[in-house]
Amino acid sequence: DSHIQYERVGADVTMKCGSMDWDAAVTWTANGTDIDESHLNGSYLILKNVDLSQSGQYSCYEGSSWHLKYQTYLRVGTPPKEPVLMCRSNNYPKGFYCSWHLPTPTYIPNSFNISVIHGTKDMVCEKDAVPKNRCHIRLLQLFSTVKYKVTLTVTNALGKNFTTLTFDEFAIVKPDPPESVVAKPVPNNPRRLEVSWQNPSSWPDPESFPLKFFLRYRPLILDQWQHVELSDGTSHTITDAYAGKEYIIQVAAKDTDIGTWSDWSVAVHATPWTEEPKHLTTEAQITETTSASTSSFMAPPTTKICDKGAVVGSGAVAVCWTAGLVVAAYSALFI
Amino acid sequence: MAAADSPSAALRRRDLCSRGIRLAGKMRADVVDLLDAYVEQQGLDASASVAAVEGVPLAAVERWDEQTGTQRLLENLAAYRAFRALLAQMLEEQREQLGEADAGLGRALAAVLLQVSAFTYHLEELLRLESRGIPGEEEDGPPAPPRLSLFEQKLRGLGVLRELAQWAVRSVRDLRQLAKPSPAPGAAPGLAESP
Repeated sequence: DSHIQYERVGADVTMKCGSMDWDAAVTWTANGTDIDESHLNGSYLILKNVDLSQSGQYSCYEGSSWHLKYQTYLRVGTPPKEPVLMCRSNNYPKGFYCSWHLPTPTYIPNSFNISVIHGTKDMVCEKDAVPKNRCHIRLLQLFSTVKYKVTLTVTNALGKNFTTLTFDEFAIVKPDPPESVVAKPVPNNPRRLEVSWQNPSSWPDPESFPLKFFLRYRPLILDQWQHVELSDGTSHTITDAYAGKEYIIQVAAKDTDIGTWSDWSVAVHATPWTEEPKHLTTEAQITETTSASTSSFMAPPTTKICDKGAVVGSGAVAVCWTAGLVVAAYSALFI
Repeated sequence: MAAADSPSAALRRRDLCSRGIRLAGKMRADVVDLLDAYVEQQGLDASASVAAVEGVPLAAVERWDEQTGTQRLLENLAAYRAFRALLAQMLEEQREQLGEADAGLGRALAAVLLQVSAFTYHLEELLRLESRGIPGEEEDGPPAPPRLSLFEQKLRGLGVLRELAQWAVRSVRDLRQLAKPSPAPGAAPGLAESP
């Protein structure tokens, strides 16, 4: 009958052919393929310095009859390294969850055991079906100064390891990012963008536990972000957008009183309203092809480089970004 | 309860709550700063666990969401009255220990004590609005605890400030609950009395 055998990477493995004598004539196979006699010591199979590729089914057959005498499944792996554990409350004040993973795979099955202690009290962390390496726990007390201590032990056939996390209730509060972020141009306003979003759906009670928000935005062609912190409300109007430039916008959330900021929301793109394009002058056309801007510009009919007020060739300095210098140069030529 | 339901009372309650929320928010920020200064000045380890000390009101609460408005007000009032006495004692001990040497910490403690007193009064106002009798304060408070060693005093001070910081957050949450418009009579949240 068959069984499983776990060995460490680099170990020397000796397999006996069941109850056969040492001097019996046997044939060993690995995954159905005969193993060369050089690996045998009598009827014992010797595998030195095993590696992962040597995992598989090993069978031993009696020499003449080819009766199967012994079979084992060899699994080569490693004992677990110290696991990585994190705990977080994205649904405060209902509870929190802890999730974990191993920094490097062991290649063999592992089992995890998690214990949560609040002061002297043991708490139960209920394992989630999905994802697997996660459990959740209900907060029975709020506003406690007593720390939580979470210990995760990982065990496999070759060894065990553990890690401990100690934290207080407030420190792990981190909401999910805001949802449904929408950015729209404002009609007749070339420098405005209206942004709105919703509280993350995982946050159970935004009325009693309001969130504050952090908005960041920049034109695609610049690296520098602009930031706005908003203590309430789920919308904001950007009023200093560069005309005609496509923007990237993100929002983050935080409980007003405790914890840390969420990750940034999914990024949305928007371009401020621009006027219906007039017939482009020659100078503007040249400017467009020689300016340093990227291909992120939209198709010419809906894109203008300069604000409505700028007039090419008048000698006035155009209030344009990047293209301004070139336009001004051309303007100077025509004075 | 008639007074609590009138529109003007509801407005006054909302007003008191929002001012109370701002007070508690500022108080918390100051307590957190004071905590940092206190830990440093007293040579303590910020991560030291301090066992619950007798007389220090714990902010920790179970079933917080099920509390009635009256419960919230009464528990807050009892807590801040206790903190008022504890901070006064800490100030006294400060002066004894360091005299003039640590005026900064003393001033910060006094400022927080002032805010705690103001907040206590605020809570009393809210209770008055609900036609609630304000529980009288005990004559001399609890019996004077045995004289603590200097180190024990410092640890207790740490415990006091930590719990006060938690209470300040809890109070903000409590006041937000209170500020919610009253649901149908008999329901738990807001100021409806539990049956």
